[in-house]
Amino acid sequence: MNLFTSFALLTLLILTTPIVMSTTSIHKNNKYQSYVKNIVFCAFITSLIPAMVYLHTNQEALISNWHWITIQTLKLTLSFKMDYFSLMFMPVSLFITWSIMEFSMWYMHSDPYINQFFKYLLLFLITMLILVTANNLFQLFIGWEGVGIMSFLLIGWWFGRTDANTAALQAILYNRIGDIGLLASMAWFLSNMNTWDLQQIFMLNQNSPNFPLMGLVLAAAGKSAQFGLHPWLPSAMEGPTPVSALLHSSTMVVAGIFLLVRFYPLMENNKFIQTTTLCLGAITTLFTAICALTQNDIKKIIAFSTSSQLGLMMVTIGLNQPYLAFLHICTHAFFKAMLFLCSGSIIHNLNNEQDIRKMGGLFKALPFTTTALIIGCLALTGMPFLTGFYSKDPIIETATSSYTNAWALLLTLTATSLTAIYSTRIIFFTLLGQPRFPPSTTINENNPLLINPIKRLLIGSIFAGFILSNSIPPMNTPLMTMPLHLKLTALAMTTLGFILAFEINTHTQNLKHTYPSNFSKFSTLLGYFPTIMHRLPPHLDLLMSQKLATSLLDLTWLETILPKTTALIQLKASTLTSNQQGLIKLYFLSFLITIILSMILFNYPE
Amino acid sequence: MTLIHMNIIMAFSMSLVGLLMYRSHLMSALLCLEGMMLSLFVLAALTILNSHFTLANMMPIILLVFAACEAAIGLALLVTISNTYGTDYVQNLNLLQC
Repeated sequence: MNLFTSFALLTLLILTTPIVMSTTSIHKNNKYQSYVKNIVFCAFITSLIPAMVYLHTNQEALISNWHWITIQTLKLTLSFKMDYFSLMFMPVSLFITWSIMEFSMWYMHSDPYINQFFKYLLLFLITMLILVTANNLFQLFIGWEGVGIMSFLLIGWWFGRTDANTAALQAILYNRIGDIGLLASMAWFLSNMNTWDLQQIFMLNQNSPNFPLMGLVLAAAGKSAQFGLHPWLPSAMEGPTPVSALLHSSTMVVAGIFLLVRFYPLMENNKFIQTTTLCLGAITTLFTAICALTQNDIKKIIAFSTSSQLGLMMVTIGLNQPYLAFLHICTHAFFKAMLFLCSGSIIHNLNNEQDIRKMGGLFKALPFTTTALIIGCLALTGMPFLTGFYSKDPIIETATSSYTNAWALLLTLTATSLTAIYSTRIIFFTLLGQPRFPPSTTINENNPLLINPIKRLLIGSIFAGFILSNSIPPMNTPLMTMPLHLKLTALAMTTLGFILAFEINTHTQNLKHTYPSNFSKFSTLLGYFPTIMHRLPPHLDLLMSQKLATSLLDLTWLETILPKTTALIQLKASTLTSNQQGLIKLYFLSFLITIILSMILFNYPE
Repeated sequence: MTLIHMNIIMAFSMSLVGLLMYRSHLMSALLCLEGMMLSLFVLAALTILNSHFTLANMMPIILLVFAACEAAIGLALLVTISNTYGTDYVQNLNLLQC
């Protein structure tokens, strides 16, 4: 009997305290921010204990407290699943949230509603943890919707700006389309397996069914911005940088991938779903990497980079490696959050300038941010023995040496080199060269609230991969031998990308094209996807519904079919077949005479 | 009983003659139509009640309902004609002339 379950529940309970305190006086003054930050730190410490116990003794737990309701044969309880995934994810996410909260104490310093901002961030964290620790699909759905709502509220934080409102609405709509898949899967599980509990679903799984897994893939595509449902993620950069760092890089967008990782016992036997996720992930990673190449907003480049890495995680799931995908989730969170924090530092120091064409020469002006940015980009591209290497390289190795779709593999490799290219673009345009910003801004990064979070995430970006991959228990046999050229594939693609990018970027100093080429236009306009999909289908839908309602229902079925047609036929027939004058009185007189005559004839036959 | 029959049948034939031989107004034709329906109703009700023919008890009522509908249609036609011509003289109904 150890402190495993109590500390796991204590973590969740600690986080709800500031929400409860929001009615008291502490919510009204400046101390609320440090209060929330310290609470998250305490939650991080208490979540380390179950994680350590798990790493030491491989003890998993299922906490089932409160029986809520039994609807005929469905029993719904409040149950938390403390297994490998949730126990590893909780400390990582709490660490990153702690750093982001400290950063947002600096970034959102001048915002009058900063306490509400912290409350929203905390609510988001709580719902994310509900999602991660859920043992039944109902609780997962609560967390799922919760992160969607908080994403909406946080993206639209500066709601006076039209673009922010549009982006928030876009996020909700695309997530809703994914929710259809999740609800369909839940309905299937309810009607076929009579449960929403993960244990029972995995036990009763005879022949992996296609329909609920496709629903889950749709849900993951919506939440994790896979191709087809991806435009909300770059638009979500309208929110403040801490929001982008927390939600749209490390925590919320991995919820979809996390869902698929949770359901790996169902997916490991279904080749069709694996191929689907593989191809979807490959398309996503390449497409978003292409789009990232010509963006000019630093946050959008990092957002597309996130989308590309999510595609990579999807590819990993398609290769039947859920644990590797989960490791990539954890390691990616570190350096992606740090990249966002560095970009936030740059943006604030340049007086809210987000266009990389107007940055430059920050190498000497912001040395610490520069260091962090470079290390973050290197970790992102998979530089050997930094964090990204320990998850990205095994993914590429597994992809190259498994019996899989070669086209998807080629796309993934191309996206790997493109990763290096846009990372070089970020470094080149923001840090190197001569400054392109007005010199009247005071550049000062000498604030401990800014330095300390980035410092922590920096140490995490360097060492977390090593620490994590040496601590976790091995879940499947790793691949030990492969030909040398396959082992060096990822490194070679990345180096190729770096060299190409550096060459092309130095060209921009000297040679400028007068007009953009077709490929450049394709990349800048995000593959024409938002332009087409946000205008054409709504227009067609509304046109069709208007035509159906007005022309078909009202005009045709209710008016023309019987009344007007009858009148028309009568008119035509009578003008066609009649040759009479309108002598009605005479006609009626003839009727009368006929009647009298027939009565006489038939009554008096003799 | 036969006297009553004769009475009502005479009322019916009076209305019939009135329907088929009228002077100018369409309204009189409609009124005679109503008279025919009324006399039929009374004849049917009396005969059925007299012979205790219970199964046919609803026939007069249904007849009355349909007569009411028909009167409504007749009045609608009258109103249309009156809207077009201002009067309801039947010598105006010569549209089918060729």
